[in-house]
Amino acid sequence: MSLDADVGLTRGSLEVRCAVHVEPGQTIAVLGPNGAGKTTVLRVLAGLDHSRDGHVVLDGEVLEDTASGAWVEPESRRVGVVFQDHTLFPHLSVLDNVAFGLRSRGVARVVARRRAHEWLERLGVEDHAASRPSAISGGQGQRVALARALITEPRLLLLDEPLAAVDASAKVDLRRTLREQVSGFDGVRILVTHDLLEAAALAESVVILEDGRVSQQGSFAEVTARPRSSWVARMAGLNLLSGQAAADVLRLGNGSELVVVGGVRGPALATIQPRAVGLHRERPGGSPRNVLQSTIAGIDPHGDRWRVRLDGPVPLVAEVTPAAAHELRLADGGVVFASIKATEIDVYPM
Amino acid sequence: MRRGAAGRPLLGLYIPAAVAVLFIVVPLVGLLAHASLADIGDALTSSAALTALRLSLECSLLAVIVSAIVGVPLAYLLARTAMRGRRLLRGLVLLPLVLPPVVGGIALQSAFGRSTPIGGVLHSLFGVTLPFSTAGAVMAEAFVGLPFLVITVEAGLRQRDAGFEEVAATLGARPWRRFWLITMPLLAPSLTAGAALCWARALGEFGATITFAGSFPGTTETLPLAAYSAFEGSGAVSRAITLSLILLVISVAVLVGLRDRWLGTLA
Repeated sequence: MSLDADVGLTRGSLEVRCAVHVEPGQTIAVLGPNGAGKTTVLRVLAGLDHSRDGHVVLDGEVLEDTASGAWVEPESRRVGVVFQDHTLFPHLSVLDNVAFGLRSRGVARVVARRRAHEWLERLGVEDHAASRPSAISGGQGQRVALARALITEPRLLLLDEPLAAVDASAKVDLRRTLREQVSGFDGVRILVTHDLLEAAALAESVVILEDGRVSQQGSFAEVTARPRSSWVARMAGLNLLSGQAAADVLRLGNGSELVVVGGVRGPALATIQPRAVGLHRERPGGSPRNVLQSTIAGIDPHGDRWRVRLDGPVPLVAEVTPAAAHELRLADGGVVFASIKATEIDVYPM
Repeated sequence: MRRGAAGRPLLGLYIPAAVAVLFIVVPLVGLLAHASLADIGDALTSSAALTALRLSLECSLLAVIVSAIVGVPLAYLLARTAMRGRRLLRGLVLLPLVLPPVVGGIALQSAFGRSTPIGGVLHSLFGVTLPFSTAGAVMAEAFVGLPFLVITVEAGLRQRDAGFEEVAATLGARPWRRFWLITMPLLAPSLTAGAALCWARALGEFGATITFAGSFPGTTETLPLAAYSAFEGSGAVSRAITLSLILLVISVAVLVGLRDRWLGTLA
């Protein structure tokens, strides 16, 4: 069972073009900022929107092909969708919500309800079987929504920001439940999210979608270690630079240069961990490293480290301890010197 | 309701609001002042009044049913499809609201009267005569009541997108199943509100009924018509008043009951 899809359409002012290929038993995350077209891609896969040009082939069956005009209605696609809103039917009990898919496929009421009950137990929400959706929490609601999607044994499971509407305290448990249930499901799994953590928890590989286009794809580790867009870099907490690599130098677009460890030549990207950026009030001397005179643009507390945004020849984010920030009087702003060892700059071809 | 200092009602609003209340209440008090208990007793036991009452309830309920059967699909198409000429259609639906009911009655007469093509066919093929029949009274009431139902139901459909229907589709529900199991139940509050407005309008209907269906006791003479003929004809003002009061009590009871149960947010 595998999915091969190429989605192309215009949604408002956004031109979406996204190809995905998912092998069976694999979860792929379509990751990107809000408004990038992620939900549009998911809707096309589910058959709720048409592609203008493209195709969706699931397990050898053509669900949509704009070239031949082939089209399978959503109710015949055997997809399971967990939506971020519009989760549960408000006028049906939790049990009847879960039984809905089986009933729609002609399963007898008694059988459908019994199996719905089993699924509610599996997801730990059987106590709420008789409740109305308005009486349960967001986290419980998503468990019920997951049960409702999985009970029909879909071939393709689509998760649209399944944790977005859930409060923080319920997220950890729900994330674990999702991972367990999703890995036990043997169809094709696609997660749509703007949350790196969600992608990390549930998916092996990611497709980065920005402004309707795929900007990068690969394994989660690969993409977050060597991001190809500033959005991914920011989500991964990295400084991302682009320029021309030559010998031991990375020449940036604005003309400034960084000393790097050689090896890559031509157009290149480079990442720098914020904690690898040292800050000094006086120009540090001695060792062979990059020293950039910068001004402090802002400071954001970030756990036990503070993130210092720097303006200068290279815009950077540095991470320092509160104690260091105090000693250097960073809160006063002004000029600082940022130092980066050549070995801390990871350069890779663009 | 929590009221902060800034949310305190403006004193200047009390006076016009009081005028509005008096404007509604004073005529009703006048009506009550003219009615004596004995009159009410008389009217309630008079078979003519009871016939008019029964006819009123039957006709108005039938008018609501007819309006719902054709009005809900129309509201659905207006709200959920990108039909061409939709704006024009919406304008047409509103027409009976602005048309004087008497003119509406004349319009019905000129479309469905015995001598018109449609009326002629109905009569010769099915032996049905609409004018001056109970069916005609129902038609006249549905004509004026339908817009209320269509507008309310359409607004209810527009309040939410088709998200729940889409969820149902991904769960394998075919279009008609989605309509009956998702669209209609979620529509219940606005359908009830629309039906109540439609019914209230139909119950009080006078002009279109009297011009299209006439005023025949037992056939087309509904309570408003009976009240008017009592008031006009024999000068039996008290009987007219009693009939009006009966109408009033029934409408208020039903509307208040529905409002509490269903219309929480709408009314």
